[in-house]
Amino acid sequence: MIPQTVDDVQKALEQERYVADRSLAVVVHLALQLGRPLFLEGEAGVGKTEVAKVLSAILGEDLIRLQCYEGLDVSHALYEWDYARQMLAIRLLEANASNAVPEVTDIMSRDYLIARPLLQAIELGAKGRRPVLLIDELDRADEEFEAYLLELLSDFQVTIPEVETVKAIEPPVVIITSNRTREIHDALKRRCIYHWIDYPDYVREVAILRSRAPHVSATLAGDLAKAMAHLRDLELFKPPGVAETLDWASALAVLGAAELSPGVVDETLGVVLKYQEDIARIRAEGVERLIAG
Amino acid sequence: MNGEAFSANLVHFARYLRALGLVVGPETAQDLAAAAGAVGLGNRLDTYEAFKAVATVRVGDRPAFDHAFELFFGTEGITDDSQPDVAFVTRDNRATRASLPTLAGFEADVNDDAEVVADIGGGSYSERLARRDFGMLTQAEREEVRMLIARMIWRPADALSRRWVSDRRGDRPHIRKTFSNLTRPEGDLVPFEYMARRPRRRPLVVIADISGSMELYAEMFLHFIHAAQGRLGRVEAFVFATRLTRVTREMRQRDAAHALGRVSESVQDWSGGTRIGDTLAEFNREWSRRVARGGAVGLVISDGWDTGDPATLDAEMARFARTMYRVVWLNPLAARAGYSPEARGMRTVLPYVDDFLAAASVLDLREVVRMLESLPSKSTSGRLRSVVR
Repeated sequence: MIPQTVDDVQKALEQERYVADRSLAVVVHLALQLGRPLFLEGEAGVGKTEVAKVLSAILGEDLIRLQCYEGLDVSHALYEWDYARQMLAIRLLEANASNAVPEVTDIMSRDYLIARPLLQAIELGAKGRRPVLLIDELDRADEEFEAYLLELLSDFQVTIPEVETVKAIEPPVVIITSNRTREIHDALKRRCIYHWIDYPDYVREVAILRSRAPHVSATLAGDLAKAMAHLRDLELFKPPGVAETLDWASALAVLGAAELSPGVVDETLGVVLKYQEDIARIRAEGVERLIAG
Repeated sequence: MNGEAFSANLVHFARYLRALGLVVGPETAQDLAAAAGAVGLGNRLDTYEAFKAVATVRVGDRPAFDHAFELFFGTEGITDDSQPDVAFVTRDNRATRASLPTLAGFEADVNDDAEVVADIGGGSYSERLARRDFGMLTQAEREEVRMLIARMIWRPADALSRRWVSDRRGDRPHIRKTFSNLTRPEGDLVPFEYMARRPRRRPLVVIADISGSMELYAEMFLHFIHAAQGRLGRVEAFVFATRLTRVTREMRQRDAAHALGRVSESVQDWSGGTRIGDTLAEFNREWSRRVARGGAVGLVISDGWDTGDPATLDAEMARFARTMYRVVWLNPLAARAGYSPEARGMRTVLPYVDDFLAAASVLDLREVVRMLESLPSKSTSGRLRSVVR
């Protein structure tokens, strides 16, 4: 069921334990209503991918995920022929040695096709469904793939020359994420609704903790959020995201720590910071400062 | 100059004379050496006369000889004021360029012979300028040098992308294409198809120092970056004195003067003090993940004069070197005779630098460009791969 107002979207997200600010709820609503792809950019660990997962739960539709990487090509993103089956079919045709002349369609039909994420999404769309298509970390793919995607996103139609043209009746819900390791081309962004997901402020981070890590007490949630805000102000090489906040909460639970103490912070710093220089810097400045806020 | 280097130089000199169209045989270098032995090297004018006697056979050879002599042994004491500065025409202009190793890559317009003749005429002038330190140029000469930089020839080495494309000489079977051959009706012979990784231009990230101590050089290096941007495309450009400014977009202007105008508008801290460590920190934090992917070459242009904290510089330079495929450092001061990296900053960064090159003239920049034509991976021993002086 597609939420009909911005408020509905925000409520639905909350029900799925995604604490979104108003601006994110607005763009999600727009993407759903206008049938346009949603382009989410932001630092690692701010919950971009999670939006797609939550949306698929809200809509009750399949989540189809395409993880991008350099060199990603049509045979991994769209479709590939099933060569083993084609070989078998050829052998069978030969063995039967019938007088019938073999046709190309004998080995080049839909049966011999392996659908990759993009084709899967369009095929579901052709059946009247509206799956959530997550194109994750598009910045890792190369420009050629981007150009191909541009074409696909404009008409949600795939032509397989030997077989048929598949067209989605309704466009799938497309979520594209990027960590901004490079700029995505403007032409692609223009087809999308763009949104930059920032680190949450203190209030929202506490809300996220309360929602996603219910075992954390209100005080501890406040302390964690304060420490995180402090860390993100320090111009570290890799500031921690929300994912790290939640990891930290879980780590504390495992260790049975009910509050942040210098000893606990020191032991668990590696959950939050992933670069030796950053860790060394915090230790040099004194972990107490994280707790003091 | 020691004896061995001197005779090597004589061989080059003789070759160059031949390239200029003089009648020079294989024995000429020996004759030159003998002549040098006979008159000694103490008096330039004597050497000049002796070499001229050995190497020229007619009066018409003189301008070319003078030009070559000047190029190889300097101007002192040989220029005669009464001598008109005549342009000379060579027998084979192309040979001029092909034969001389130290001057390779000078070519301007290879196809236009008329142009080449004129070019050789002014050639001696251009090549003298090409050798001159940017810090010693007059205003008029700077204009000429800008042209030389803009005309430089780039043939950078490519990296391999992870994208596979159909290639007959490839070594991985292209099943998809082979199968599609199967469905074609003609004949029983099905060509087997191969694929290979497609070459991709390696990104270049340039970080140029425009602080006070680089004042005489900054402009020419910016022209150099502009030329690189135009020829290579994938160039990310940054400048700094006390803080880092990204000027990639400004540099994309086609016209160099226009581009540099835009750069100077966007930069706040021209010719201030230098904080290389803080600058690199900012680059590492804000930009390296965005612009240094795909095996980028990091090119830093600075004299290494740093007024910041050495510990910061050390840590940030280490990180910079880790993110880059290869780190090249250009230092204009290193071109000076007897240079040793005394600036503390320079000593701090050297362990992380793969190639340390002197760069103060067009000739040096051509050397840099040539180096970019073959770039094996980063040295792991922590030692410099090349030092060009």
